[in-house]
Amino acid sequence: MSAIEAYRENAAKWLESVAPTYGKAARKGLSEEADLALGRRYQNAKFEAGYAGINWPTEYGGQGLSHIEKVTFESEEMKHGFPTGYFGISLGMPVPILMQFGSDQEFAKERVLKALKGEEIWCQLFSEPAGGSDLAGLRTKAEPDGNGWKINGQKLWTSWAQYSDYGVIVVRTDPNVPKHKGLTYFWVDMKAPGVEVRPIKLAGGDSHVNEVFFDDVKISDDHRMSPVGGGFAVAMATLMIERYVATDSAGFGPHLDLFVDLAKTTEINGKPLIKDGRIRQQIARNYAMRSGLNAITARAMLMMQAGMTPGPEGSLNKLVSVRSRQKLSELAIDLQGSDGFAYDDHAQQKDNWTSSWINAPTGRIAGGADEMLLNTIAEKILGLPQDHRPDKGVAFNQIPA
Amino acid sequence: MSILYDEAQQSIANESRRVLEARVSKEELLPLLESTGHYHDGFWDTAREQGWTALAVPEEYDGLALGLVELGLIAHQAGRTISGAPFLTSSFGAAKAIELYGSDTQKQKWLPRLASGESIGAVAIASGADALPRQPRVKFANEQIKGVATGVSGGLTADLAVVLSQGTAGPALVLAELDGVKRHAIESFDNSRCIANLDFAATPAEILVEGPKARAAALHILALQAVITAHEQTGGAEILMETARDYAVTRRAFGQVIGAFQSVKHRVAELYALVELARANCIHAASREGKDDFVTAAAAARLSATEAYDTAARDCIQIHGGIGVTWEAGLHLHMRRARSLAIEQGNALFWEDILVDRLTGEAA
Repeated sequence: MSAIEAYRENAAKWLESVAPTYGKAARKGLSEEADLALGRRYQNAKFEAGYAGINWPTEYGGQGLSHIEKVTFESEEMKHGFPTGYFGISLGMPVPILMQFGSDQEFAKERVLKALKGEEIWCQLFSEPAGGSDLAGLRTKAEPDGNGWKINGQKLWTSWAQYSDYGVIVVRTDPNVPKHKGLTYFWVDMKAPGVEVRPIKLAGGDSHVNEVFFDDVKISDDHRMSPVGGGFAVAMATLMIERYVATDSAGFGPHLDLFVDLAKTTEINGKPLIKDGRIRQQIARNYAMRSGLNAITARAMLMMQAGMTPGPEGSLNKLVSVRSRQKLSELAIDLQGSDGFAYDDHAQQKDNWTSSWINAPTGRIAGGADEMLLNTIAEKILGLPQDHRPDKGVAFNQIPA
Repeated sequence: MSILYDEAQQSIANESRRVLEARVSKEELLPLLESTGHYHDGFWDTAREQGWTALAVPEEYDGLALGLVELGLIAHQAGRTISGAPFLTSSFGAAKAIELYGSDTQKQKWLPRLASGESIGAVAIASGADALPRQPRVKFANEQIKGVATGVSGGLTADLAVVLSQGTAGPALVLAELDGVKRHAIESFDNSRCIANLDFAATPAEILVEGPKARAAALHILALQAVITAHEQTGGAEILMETARDYAVTRRAFGQVIGAFQSVKHRVAELYALVELARANCIHAASREGKDDFVTAAAAARLSATEAYDTAARDCIQIHGGIGVTWEAGLHLHMRRARSLAIEQGNALFWEDILVDRLTGEAA
């Protein structure tokens, strides 16, 4: 057995041992507050067992292993439905960026350790009403204020801001230069005076995203994590830091086996649906698509183990899997006919078609809309030109509204 | 699991691409469309000279004892340049049937000849719309076959055929020499496939497998060929995606290159997705030969490769606009080939059923 297989086996054993305490069954019926509390205990258990910060340096409390072990652990962890969602952004982007760009390293180390143990949560204050896909179009501003800065404006779609202790933020510090050049990157204390968090209820009924308002929020200059005007580069680094994450060819929706089971146990016009060519075609097409994504992932893992950089085709996973999941979920609901109306807003999208369906649009927009992913493939991989951008090279305050 | 190509495999890919790009051109392929029964001699000579015909044949029969991965790599390159003849796949299928199910005498007689390319093999399993018929139209009795096998790729020029026939005690996969067999050339939209109806009239035939196992054997041969064809389709889709991209970054309209319009740009990006899914499925399937899930993996490769090549043929022509539909531009060579490869080795409907039967545990 290779070292990585042994690692996987040990991780799988540990995960199975804690699944009854923290997994899918233990979470059933919990309020969000109780679920978050369970999540914090699970995160601490991971830390104690050596499965937190797997690929982070040991001096920050990590395990000092590679992204191969990390992705291996995550792909096993995904099977049990643990309450990890609250920490995904926090440990995925802001906290690693703090390690890399935080000017006060003693402070950074303290924060990292608390985040790894699930005691503190960080959010990422990027998107705004005026800039989501067009991040550099953001309007929240920071003005010099004594020796520090004063922030005013509004952020949007900030995941888990309502539970966050800290956040990283990109703001405009100079409106007189082109939009990418006038941004600066800071961290903020989410409990500071002038910060107001308002949860946004999403279509599925849950509220994991928020509006965050900044009203004369004062920070000292040691909160700054980029040169003044150099914030966009750090923002890009933030989005690139999690290049190697466990993927799910089911698009974070139900496994195809669940669809096959449904088709086996459902009849239409007196015939089992599993004998219906329309359904069989959907099963076959979805299987072929998912097996292709799985093979891409398997080869990426082999490349990493061989010390190679995985190919750019890994970027297809989210685009292809989530939109397929959306259509398959619609079909799965329709198949059930008048039994398909039921809706449980506590159901998990990994094992419930209705939950998967109602939340699928979020999956196709958050973290890169389908259209942005297609642009990235076209521009970065295939060398096609950028779209026409009327705001290119124009000072931010001269861009027509 | 999947595999990474090793250095030897990489060099097979590079070398076959170099040779094919140098020796096969659309100017030579276009006239073949307007004549019946002619294939690209240069392509087949190259295949023999480079040892591609011997690639998957065991060493004791003068082969190189490599497998689906290596032959798939060559098929991928052949798909990029458009293979000038169908024999790499058809002879491979025939040789595999003989190797797996034939007698020592049959192996000694045919495998060295197939390895050198001196003989050409064909595989006739389908009966019209039915890629793997329960009641084959060709009948087998008294060591002879009778009946017509329709639309056999390579059948016009092949020296031997592996035929799925109906015997007295169920199906029989048999081997027949085609010397003296009446062949009716099919005037096709893709004439270099050398497609023919084979009219067996008391043609001597030797049993490879008979009874219930014959059907499973025929499916296995189809699956092996399907993986090779899927590589060829993926190669075709890949070059079309690149061709569409190259055109989109040079052709200008409305003051900019057309690749700057998202309707064009996203179409090419979608082709990239289809090509990469097909490629990953092909590599995976090639690595599963001999494993329990081989047929499932082959079906997935086949489905995604057919979708990739068909979509790429449609979209590449569309992106080219008027020039794309001209005879000279030759994109129709790919459009035609996408269709013939979509049919050979069983169409998508067939493989969808094979796949779902396996996923539901209903496979025969």
